[in-house]
Amino acid sequence: MAVVLSACASSPPTPAPRARPSGAALTDVRRVVVVTTGESRFTVMQEAKEPGRGFDEVMKWLPAKDLLVPIARAVYSGLSWLIESDRAAGTVPRDVVPGTVVADAFARALQVSGPFNQIVSVDREPVGDDRRLADAIVRLTVPSWGLMRVREGDADAVAGFADVRAQMVVRETGVIVWEHEEDVTQPGRLSLDAYKRDRGLTRQELVDVLERAGRRLATELLYAQDGRR
Amino acid sequence: MARAAARVATLIALLSLVGGCASRTLDVSYPQTEVKKALLASVAPRRVVVAPVTDRRGDKDRIGATPEDKKPIMTARPVAEIVREAVVLEIEKNGHQVVPGPGDVVLATDVEEFWLDAVGRSKNTQYVGRVAIAVSVADGATGERLWSRRYVGIRRQNAEADSKATWREVMDTALARTIRDLATDPDLALTVARTPR
Repeated sequence: MAVVLSACASSPPTPAPRARPSGAALTDVRRVVVVTTGESRFTVMQEAKEPGRGFDEVMKWLPAKDLLVPIARAVYSGLSWLIESDRAAGTVPRDVVPGTVVADAFARALQVSGPFNQIVSVDREPVGDDRRLADAIVRLTVPSWGLMRVREGDADAVAGFADVRAQMVVRETGVIVWEHEEDVTQPGRLSLDAYKRDRGLTRQELVDVLERAGRRLATELLYAQDGRR
Repeated sequence: MARAAARVATLIALLSLVGGCASRTLDVSYPQTEVKKALLASVAPRRVVVAPVTDRRGDKDRIGATPEDKKPIMTARPVAEIVREAVVLEIEKNGHQVVPGPGDVVLATDVEEFWLDAVGRSKNTQYVGRVAIAVSVADGATGERLWSRRYVGIRRQNAEADSKATWREVMDTALARTIRDLATDPDLALTVARTPR
């Protein structure tokens, strides 16, 4: 009986969140420059890259398994990567710069509701007066973005996604007063075929998820301030 | 005869417990220690009636299914209760008083989605948690509906298949993102600020 009850115990407690800079550190920040950094990789991920059970079923009949199975797995992964690269290359909207879209949406959201007197988005690290006049610099990175399978059962129900990182640094001291990273997913879901057929739709979905990412980062920055304005 | 009946009763009790374990129950909650003041704190204190949350989900009995065997995943408490608790925590943290009624403002919330998806069967299963709510604000004196908006919080995370800790973390975070979007919404703060005290 004890074993049965123990097995029914509810889920373990959530791990303690990582320590974050306090809102107090953000109090004196009034003029902010937002800049995008780093590379962004566009991907269209529909299936898990790992071979499934069918692969294992075939592999167990192979002679010299120790030698051939690792090779077969490597070939499978390589082919999956090539297929994914080809799929991504045919879908990526060339005119969309992910970091810029996120940075602009982030700045707009903070202009509406943020405590900063001035917030500007620029496409490179500020220099000269632009740098001297800033209290803090927010550096945004979009390491990956694209389309991702988000629902099991629907063969190819996918949504736009963007993984984003942000870090606010006080210009004078170099102290990091806020940092956040987030997986952002667009609420809507469509088939991959729908996106392949309509490039305008694909572009809109991707711009929407990047703008959502910018707004989400702004929300988290506002929340980190703990009511200080 | 009585002994046989007792044995049957014990067997039924055991079977029901084992049957209960066929599902997976999660203690999804809003992390109270992480609640902070946001834009709502800039509004002078109001007496806020947080109406009972309406659960408008199509399937109210579960929040998802286990990836391996498709058994239902459920929450330890009703979803409407979890969401209402989160809303109340935010309102109170921002300096407003939650009252049973009458109040200056009535905040009504509908839950439209509270769902955990799992994609893939491998060690690298991707979990996607989604929480969608519709929030409306009404004038406490007249009942006039002043404003409404939908909020959607989504969390993606890769983990082992059947990682119960991940299921909970994903849903906790999806809920937290939804509520933080609400707490930092300038239009909500503006609407509450316009209601007479």
